[in-house]
Amino acid sequence: MSNRGGVVKTLFKRDFVYTFYSWGFYVVLFAAFMISSFILKNFLDGIREEDILVSAYPLNYPLFISVIVISIYLVMLSGVSISREREHGTLEVLFYGPVTAGNFLISKYFKDLCLGIIALAFCAVYFYLVSLTTNLGFTAGLVRALVMGVFMISCVVCFGLFISSLTGRTRSSVLVLLAILGGFLALQFVHAALIGMEREALSTPMLYLRETVSHLFRGINWVSPFAFLNRGLDAVVLDSPLLFGLNIFYAVVYSVIFLILSIISMSLKGVKA
Amino acid sequence: MRIYVIAICLIAICILSAGGVGAQAPARREQLVYSLTAFDGASFSKSFCPPSEDTLYFIADNSSVIDARKTFIYFWPITRRYMAGFRSLDEKLPGTIEILKGGEVIQTLQRQTYTLFYPEGYWSDKATLYSDQEAERRFAEYQSAVEAFNRKLRDYYEEMRIYREEFNRFLEEMRIRRESGEEGITNIEMPQEPSPPDFVDFYASEPAQGFILNLPVGNYQIRLRCPDGRIYEGSEKNVVVFESRRTGGVGYEIIPGNRWTRRESVDDPSWIIHGAGHNVLYFNPYHQAEYNELYHNKLEDPQNSGRIERWKWVHIDPIDDVHMVLSRGEEILQQIERAPYFVKQIPGPELGYEIIPYDDELLQRGYQPTFESYQIELSTNLPPEEYTVSALQDGSAEHLPESERSIRLLRKENANYLYPIAFFPLVFGIVVILSRWTRIDR
Repeated sequence: MSNRGGVVKTLFKRDFVYTFYSWGFYVVLFAAFMISSFILKNFLDGIREEDILVSAYPLNYPLFISVIVISIYLVMLSGVSISREREHGTLEVLFYGPVTAGNFLISKYFKDLCLGIIALAFCAVYFYLVSLTTNLGFTAGLVRALVMGVFMISCVVCFGLFISSLTGRTRSSVLVLLAILGGFLALQFVHAALIGMEREALSTPMLYLRETVSHLFRGINWVSPFAFLNRGLDAVVLDSPLLFGLNIFYAVVYSVIFLILSIISMSLKGVKA
Repeated sequence: MRIYVIAICLIAICILSAGGVGAQAPARREQLVYSLTAFDGASFSKSFCPPSEDTLYFIADNSSVIDARKTFIYFWPITRRYMAGFRSLDEKLPGTIEILKGGEVIQTLQRQTYTLFYPEGYWSDKATLYSDQEAERRFAEYQSAVEAFNRKLRDYYEEMRIYREEFNRFLEEMRIRRESGEEGITNIEMPQEPSPPDFVDFYASEPAQGFILNLPVGNYQIRLRCPDGRIYEGSEKNVVVFESRRTGGVGYEIIPGNRWTRRESVDDPSWIIHGAGHNVLYFNPYHQAEYNELYHNKLEDPQNSGRIERWKWVHIDPIDDVHMVLSRGEEILQQIERAPYFVKQIPGPELGYEIIPYDDELLQRGYQPTFESYQIELSTNLPPEEYTVSALQDGSAEHLPESERSIRLLRKENANYLYPIAFFPLVFGIVVILSRWTRIDR
């Protein structure tokens, strides 16, 4: 058991140090914060001088976008590293030793989760600085949203590991991950945009599209990892500890299921590309 | 040749008949509809359910009234809604309403007498439904109040007639005295103008007959059973009985001083008021409840649309027996009482207005207050921080539940610093990576 833990620790340390000391991690954080700054600048510009604007937690939406960017980066990184190690034969070499599919994937999961938590700490610092500069509220709601972000990253990482365990080559792994996660995100944003419009404002084809998107969204609501963050942010806005706790519970269950599925999938598929 | 003539005639007939169709009144059909007097959280919404809608929506544990009627239905293309011609045909269908749950009849409703009682007058937003003897009693109470008012009004007209005569005599006497050379204050008593009686401050609708429905949350079916035992065709409808998701909180309508006709709502406790520069805000608090948008819109009118994913706050009752407090942390900055205000149009070519406190001078000039509200001034002297506005019950130090709202005065001028802030992970990354390189080099 301790040997297994030692293997996980070694693999975790190897991947974690590699990512933490690489430029990519910081460039992605910079990109996420630039997008957030753009959104917040537009929000502030939207308030005219000597006027008011009523809004719920304006920092939550940029946080949502930042968490999405960070989690997609982490999952792509893991996906690519699994496929590359498979292609180069490193995985085969590792698996001749004490490494198993479980060890390998759990180490990847914890590496991504730890990097996600560090990224969320960066988010907290960024939003605190934004709050100091502009007086946009760094509220308890934002702290709860950051906590929910950890669980959303966990969901995305597990989902990504599952997809990567199914695919063989690096290119196909990247394409499949991008297609599926992009599809989920696109569906979520289109659905949010369409339900934001009054029925009377929509033409007949748009009405059909809204109905179709609504059905599709309901279908992916428990599969898409991004839907968990959405529900979590709703729980934050509703200030409901029960809903918040339930969402965390669902996210943990989701993560465990997809982690187990990825371990099974990798064990069945084997280590060869 | 004959074929051409026939073809031209046919085309002409088609064109003429097509023109006729465009000018035709919509086709009317005699059909069963349910007329609805549905409790909407504050008052009662009146509408009807055409055959095109298969579901009725009601708020749980509150009485609403439905009635089965035969009337003319027609589709009005301009509004894309079905309309009912109750003036041409309004026939109550005899029978009983059966309520089913899971295929089992759980209640059978008979028609009852009911009235809608408005304790704060017909134009107020609050109404209560009374049935049977209580309905008759409430309406009788209203009728006797109206009769008493009419008597007082007749007395007032008579007093006014006497007053005018006395006033004319007073003016005549004054004229005679002034013409006879009398100067200064006279000892003639000036007649006092009588005051008109106050109108009845409550209202009760004329008692009517209907099926009173009061159900717990759930999904049901209803149908109309004729006196001969048959089910009336087309009378089956689904019924969705729902409750509020959140209730008991306080919502605010804000009248911004610089755009008083474009009001804002701050209903949800999570909503924050972000302000820039100097602002004068007029707050109107309400008790409120939150309902599903689709269900509540359909309750107001089954032909309304809505989104099942969305929720809406419904203002139940205005709150006017509180005072409001503007505070920063624990420090109370302002205690605000409710006061009347008057919107004064600024004369001249520049279109504008000014909101001023309503005072005795305006009262004497015959003006009525435009609105009553709680005024909060966010001056530029206030440091840009977080403030809280809340409502306190008069004579109490307790905040009304869920009445706190945050006001954040923003530093808009610092918006351009947002981009440089985004660079800090890169700076951190440079430090971390360079320090590692340095360590490895050693």
